[in-house]
Amino acid sequence: MPMGHTATEQAGSGGLTATEHRLANGLRVVLSEDHLTPVAAVCLWYDVGSRHEVKGRTGLAHLFEHLMFQGSAQVKGNGHFELVQGAGGSLNGTTSFERTNYFETMPAHELELALWLEADRMGSLLTALDDESMENQRDVVKNERRQRYDNVPYGTAFEKLTAMAYPEGHPYHHTPIGSMADLDAASLEDARAFFRTYYAPNNAVLSIVGDIDSAQTLAWVEKYFGSIPSHDGKQPPRDGTLPDNIGGELREVVEEDVPSRALMAAYRLPHDGTREADAADLALTVLGGGESSRLYNRLVRRDRSAVAAGFGLLRLAGAPSLGWLDVKTSGGVEVPDIERAVDEELARFAAEGPTPEEMERAQAQLEREWLDRLATVSGRADELCRFAVLFGDPQLALTAVQRVLDVTSEEVQAVAKARLRPDNRAVLVYEPTEPTDAADTEEGEADQ
Amino acid sequence: MSDATTHAGSPASTMDFHPQPQGGAPKPWAFPAPERSQLPNGLTLLTSHRPGQQVVAVEINLVAPLDAEPEGLDGVATIMARALSEGTDKHDAEEFAAELERCGATLDAHADHPGVRVSLEVPASRLHRALGLLGDALRAPAFPDSEVERLVRNRLDEIPHELANPARRAAMALSKELFPATSRMSRPRQGTEETVARVDAAAVRAFYDAHVRPATATAVIVGDFTGIDLGAALSDTLGAWSGSTAEPLKASPIIADDTGRVVIVDRPGAVQTQLLIGRIGADRHDRVWPAQVLGTYCLGGTLTSRLDRVLREEKGYTYGVRAFGQVLRSTAPTSPEGATGASLLAISGSVDTASTVPALEDLWQVLRTLAAGGLTDEERDVAVQNLVGVAPLKYETAAAVAGTLADQVEQQLPDDFQAQLYVRLAETGTVEATAAAVNAFPVDRLVTVLVGDAAQIAEPVKALGIGEVTVVSG
Repeated sequence: MPMGHTATEQAGSGGLTATEHRLANGLRVVLSEDHLTPVAAVCLWYDVGSRHEVKGRTGLAHLFEHLMFQGSAQVKGNGHFELVQGAGGSLNGTTSFERTNYFETMPAHELELALWLEADRMGSLLTALDDESMENQRDVVKNERRQRYDNVPYGTAFEKLTAMAYPEGHPYHHTPIGSMADLDAASLEDARAFFRTYYAPNNAVLSIVGDIDSAQTLAWVEKYFGSIPSHDGKQPPRDGTLPDNIGGELREVVEEDVPSRALMAAYRLPHDGTREADAADLALTVLGGGESSRLYNRLVRRDRSAVAAGFGLLRLAGAPSLGWLDVKTSGGVEVPDIERAVDEELARFAAEGPTPEEMERAQAQLEREWLDRLATVSGRADELCRFAVLFGDPQLALTAVQRVLDVTSEEVQAVAKARLRPDNRAVLVYEPTEPTDAADTEEGEADQ
Repeated sequence: MSDATTHAGSPASTMDFHPQPQGGAPKPWAFPAPERSQLPNGLTLLTSHRPGQQVVAVEINLVAPLDAEPEGLDGVATIMARALSEGTDKHDAEEFAAELERCGATLDAHADHPGVRVSLEVPASRLHRALGLLGDALRAPAFPDSEVERLVRNRLDEIPHELANPARRAAMALSKELFPATSRMSRPRQGTEETVARVDAAAVRAFYDAHVRPATATAVIVGDFTGIDLGAALSDTLGAWSGSTAEPLKASPIIADDTGRVVIVDRPGAVQTQLLIGRIGADRHDRVWPAQVLGTYCLGGTLTSRLDRVLREEKGYTYGVRAFGQVLRSTAPTSPEGATGASLLAISGSVDTASTVPALEDLWQVLRTLAAGGLTDEERDVAVQNLVGVAPLKYETAAAVAGTLADQVEQQLPDDFQAQLYVRLAETGTVEATAAAVNAFPVDRLVTVLVGDAAQIAEPVKALGIGEVTVVSG
């Protein structure tokens, strides 16, 4: 059976369309109708992330995101959560290097409530913000840090790699969770200033996707958001310009109580939004994106030297993206053996490029990942905001998968050759402090 | 920053406020009713056409429960599940993986108490080809010695990683504590170092021969079938699988000891304590299920439930604590062995080490307050509105629908169970929900597992009076 180059006629957009609008106060609005299921997603991206934080206040953007759920002028305490969930909706917010997003997915008939809630906190958060919620959420976020990073094996690897890949003083040198000391140091006044600086309609994009009436939705957006004053207090993030290549391998060896040795590395890769970034995505997929990838076949299947091996892309628009290699060693295997094999595979790939079969597989995998992201209204709303905030054009979300499919194997080889080199990586090696065979033989594993 | 503050600190105007809007009329939505049929080889088929869902989800249920693993070979079901995709009569292991990825497909298989589940997701346009690969994996797995040996070694390498994870370590310790040592449920689902090491290709083949056949299997297929001749796509793929009929396996009743007690898994220097507090209770066949779902949600379903309202939003002890009910294994009351099923009912989360004891005190106080005063009508109403209202969101994707349909099959529930559950939830009152929650989490019948620094927490936990305290090494 012949396989088409793409899985769908329109290469992932599925016939989706989006319209763009702008309120007088500068709020950009993106609407996309889809009447198949009676649900509507609201997604609001503020153009602020951890890269906007200043020295001594790492983690503030994320801590602030928590404070956005602590009430505003017309919403008491946890009312934002209570009202959305009580209406049959789901919601959350997340903070990354480059943005902070807030989202609600609602039964379609409750869309107006989500808009009212988002507008209320965009316009009036500071009326409700007090010491009590600041102190409480500071503790919650510190426990989030402990749970997700400090109390799990290899939990701080990403933080360590990032700190090496982006030099001291660079806006991406620290990760969004921030340090405990800086979380302790953040004051209520810092939070207020952060809101006054970055939380404004002209620093945000609102997307609404799903079973909506565009004219009615736009009227609601105007009603609830239209009178929120814009302001121009925003400071641009510090300059994130860096050379394409690190220019020499950086390395850190960590001795910790971890279950096995590990080799991790971060490679500096092209900025998101470029054709080269899509080529890099394909290169990493061929090399380490699945169970038919080169590194998996080499390390896990043939050499049997690794328990797991993967290579993924962290796309970044305001600084070089990161290619993140993660190999956990098998039994008594030593890291230099793994490293030699990785270097061989990377060098061979740079010299030969991907085979046509590898290109087909990598493009098919990335295409399915796109289809998955676009399968829900909330996924689509998030992508529309992403392209609007980072690249100025939400329509690019609907053609993103086609751009990945347009990349040639020569371009994939070129980016591998230029970037996937030992002198362009930060390496993190884990050596366990205890013998690696210390596992309790009475118990193995259970899922929760 | 201070510049920015003066810039925007005193805006000349504020926004116009409007009253909170009231929702419109709900649009009708129902959990999809699947079409049920059977292929000539005996394979049961559940299909559901979901317009717009371009990634099709396929779930295969194999009646190969962990209970059926031979004595001393815990983990053979897991290795068999993984080995299904390590080569067939048409492709070797590397080719098989490559062919799947050429379809843009993912294929996962795992073994749990009720049986083995194989999950395929693939863009609709490549469904036929991916079904061919799935059919090969089920019909003619090669189980080569070298691949099985590799999977065994890989599995042995995974075990230390799982033991190091506080949440998984807690789950293992709770299972060991709750269930009698003779019960498969007391032991890790994917086996121990000792038992996994004994698994070889012959054992995998024998387990496959004994338990994998179309007559006892079910395929659930969900997605946008526009332009797809599903009948044709199935007949030369899953339809080509053959096998004998089999005597149904008999499930044994699930027994657990929920005498209130505490096990501390010692992690010197841990900055947090992982909590897992549980026992067993009713499964979906029990009439109390909707009330138990509702009561458990009110107790710990979300950030605004009773537990997080205190432990997170008032005290800041945790990033979040959840109460949940998870079916372990079920049989229908009408089955030969009758209703033998049970769920794990549990409260789970992590707290900073210094807050361990205050958090446990507060947690028990929340349970006592619930038992003494019950839920409020408002809590019940909000919970029903959420649990019923989120259904169209929760089941937007083909994978979500297929997962629930496959769970129903696995638990011997009728195909309309989920659809009816929403009706029953709406009919459940505050009194019933309270009773179910209190019965699910009685303060003196809970087994508490704490993965944390025993030197700091053991003594004060003993003083709490929530049961005898045992410390085991991490």
